[in-house]
Amino acid sequence: MLVGTVVGNVWATKKDATLTGLRFLVIRPFTLDGLPSAETLVAADPLGAGIGERVLVVFGRAARHAIGKGHDVGFQCAVSAIIDKMELEDGSLIGSTSEQDVLGPELARSAAGATRAAGATTTTTNKESRGP
Amino acid sequence: MFLGRVVGEVWATRKVEDLRGLRLLVVEALDERRAPGAPKVTPVVAADPLGADLGEHVVVAFGKAARVACGGDGDFAFEAAIVGIVDDFDVPNAPASWRMEPRGRDDSARPGSARPAGGATPRGGR
Repeated sequence: MLVGTVVGNVWATKKDATLTGLRFLVIRPFTLDGLPSAETLVAADPLGAGIGERVLVVFGRAARHAIGKGHDVGFQCAVSAIIDKMELEDGSLIGSTSEQDVLGPELARSAAGATRAAGATTTTTNKESRGP
Repeated sequence: MFLGRVVGEVWATRKVEDLRGLRLLVVEALDERRAPGAPKVTPVVAADPLGADLGEHVVVAFGKAARVACGGDGDFAFEAAIVGIVDDFDVPNAPASWRMEPRGRDDSARPGSARPAGGATPRGGR
């Protein structure tokens, strides 16, 4: 299981028949240096999470169970919860969206450092840059 | 399974029914190869049937093992669970970041813990 932020939707018309009626989201995993990870994943969403929301993602049998369409589903990754808040060791309060985050000293420091580094090269990481 | 450290806790109201009443902790894997200051990896969220505290070292299991650890052999909508709270470990040459620190818990109160209240350190280089 991991925590991630919904960054988009995926639609597919030609797909495995067992996937009919499922909603698919692109999710960017949360990392402990306060930055979005480089890789994203796609998860089925039975709960109706929106873009920007933080969700809990489960894999494998647990995911097929969460989807609730039996275990013969051609998918192995699903949203099982929409997160209200997450409290981290350094005092950071991670909210249900990045706007609600209150970063503790450790996370704030690494996020600030990384934003500086990213500013020199690309702005893609700033899409999820956290508030003050 | 892996050895990790509890670094946070997660709360969710809107969730799959199976997760109701389950305590969810954020666990950072202890990684021997990672250099100090290197970018951190995505932490794992694990169900916690044992009541681990922030900062404690834990053993996390995946898949059916995790579901069994949380009762029954059921079909639950999660696949990671804390199956052990580490009292002590001995990994020669473990990085300093593995060190166990007491975090507001009276360790002597835990049954089976021979660890002094000062906490243990990775016992490398002896």
